[in-house]
Amino acid sequence: MNRIVITLLCIAASVGCNRGGSTSETSSAKPRVALVLKTLNNPFFNDMQRGAQQAADRLGVELVVQAAERETDVERQMQIVENLIQSGIKALALTPSGSKEVVPAVVKANRANIPVVIVDTRLDPTAATEAAVKTASFIGSDNYDGGRTAATFVVSSTGGKANVGVLEGIPGHETGDSRMRGFKDGIAATPGIKIVASQPANWERDQGFNVFQNMLQAHPEIDTVFACNDMMALGAVEAIRAAGKTGKIKVVGFDAVEDARKAINDGTMLASVAQFPEEMGRAAIENAVKALRGEAAQPDVKVRIELVTKGEK
Amino acid sequence: MIGAAGPRALARRFGAVAGLLVLCLLLWILTPYFLTVANLLNVMEQTAINAIVAVGMTYVIISGGIDLSVGSLLAVAGVVLALALKADWPVPIAAVAALGTGAICGLANGVGIAFGKLPPFIMTLGMMSVARGGALLLTDGRPVSGFGAGFRSLATGHVVGIPAPIVLTLVIYLLSHLVLSRTRFGRYVYGIGGNEEATRLSGVPVRFHKTVVYGVSGVASAVAAILLTARLNTAQPIAGINYELDAIAATVIGGTSLSGGDGSLGGTLIGALTMGVLRNGLNLLGVSSFLQQLVIGVVIIAAVLVDRVLKEKRS
Repeated sequence: MNRIVITLLCIAASVGCNRGGSTSETSSAKPRVALVLKTLNNPFFNDMQRGAQQAADRLGVELVVQAAERETDVERQMQIVENLIQSGIKALALTPSGSKEVVPAVVKANRANIPVVIVDTRLDPTAATEAAVKTASFIGSDNYDGGRTAATFVVSSTGGKANVGVLEGIPGHETGDSRMRGFKDGIAATPGIKIVASQPANWERDQGFNVFQNMLQAHPEIDTVFACNDMMALGAVEAIRAAGKTGKIKVVGFDAVEDARKAINDGTMLASVAQFPEEMGRAAIENAVKALRGEAAQPDVKVRIELVTKGEK
Repeated sequence: MIGAAGPRALARRFGAVAGLLVLCLLLWILTPYFLTVANLLNVMEQTAINAIVAVGMTYVIISGGIDLSVGSLLAVAGVVLALALKADWPVPIAAVAALGTGAICGLANGVGIAFGKLPPFIMTLGMMSVARGGALLLTDGRPVSGFGAGFRSLATGHVVGIPAPIVLTLVIYLLSHLVLSRTRFGRYVYGIGGNEEATRLSGVPVRFHKTVVYGVSGVASAVAAILLTARLNTAQPIAGINYELDAIAATVIGGTSLSGGDGSLGGTLIGALTMGVLRNGLNLLGVSSFLQQLVIGVVIIAAVLVDRVLKEKRS
């Protein structure tokens, strides 16, 4: 009994300290704005968090950032949103872990009159219409265009002949699906480019490694990889290294995270489609603040997309 | 040996209750948002799914086993439910299909363990993968979503002002507590976990009852699946990953002994609430997600440590 009390007191003390450390003394007067991310163990979202923090500091709001332990844990993300609503946040910026599953959470925010900004992954239009949810704005890159950009690059860099292995994101995710669609549409006009295998590796580096290793066993003719994010692309790079085929297989990723930029400079990756998560984070908070101050938020903010190749940084 | 009560079990349950109360007290001091009716209902609603899965886990652990497949069973039962609803089956029949799926997979676990003499860890580890694969195959890896308002009211509705998931959870706990404490089956569950050989020698059909215990766990996961599907308006084939760990944590925080033969559902409910309150409180305080995981782990270890110390003192 005593021990459990002591343990809990220690935890409370550490929590209390952490709370004191992360917010300034005057913060109680500032409106609290929440940014709920898919996960915090992906540099893409760390960059987004940084951009959001800059905007929050500039605009004089207190930013609370929360994320589930796993990117796919929609139920946990919903719990986080519910808990934040209870904690009296004034606006919510949300990167949905699932474009359909998160709709009930947005409904709850609507009911509490908290303006919602959706970032990175769009809500499923059918589910959103059915539940009559209101969102102040959407901030994101056009993933479909990104997929097409990657496809155009693959066509030009291979001279129009390639056997492509595709690493998909989590099935049913709008982001990954759009990138895939863009990529497929982008190569459709070039019959020499064939997708010989396409498998989900759930956005993760270790799964990218394993899935691509298996793919290579079944299809040794693969000479090009398109991965729907850089984590999976970097996993594939390692699988290629393990197979002793470095330099023989072209790898194109998505997101241009720091590790991918390094790999491009080392020549183990060929290119990556750059998104600008920091800009997304900034725009998300700017629009959330507009919405909570009753000003008109921009309904649809398209953040630019660029292809990163060797020599361009 | 057979039976739940006794000063030891009581003391331990009191320990868990006291732990939860202290936690609530601390949160009440630290944040003004914790002790509101809306937030407390919110916590209980969020706890419902883990609490229901943990009912089955408690039966299994008291019988001296473990069930690692609960998260995957939840996924496959949810998917069956969703596909049935999409095929325009009436809600009760779709629910029965989901419960049946859970029961069949759970009983399969039980048969492998009781009759095939497989260690529970291995059998349910295998089932974890089998059921997950089944859920992915049935849906082609995609979530199935969009159900009628009638079905969704299971998660969004209210019974005399209390959210339906809370009422459902309490009813399930009451019934399963009565079964565990008042029926012959319940006594056998304790007996098998306490001393399987002695229970067998006293003429109890041990293998049959062991099989049923895993069936109960499968059904509990399926009930949780129905609730989760209604809550998210979606069934995901990748739902329930790591739920076995949450359920085991709730069970052991509640004072159920991992070596079997001892424990109670009241304790498990307290354990599940402790985890729910902790997660909720850490969110309210705006604690970093990384620190949250650390704190939850520390609390689980501390709770079991206290449990062990108390046990040694009394024996």
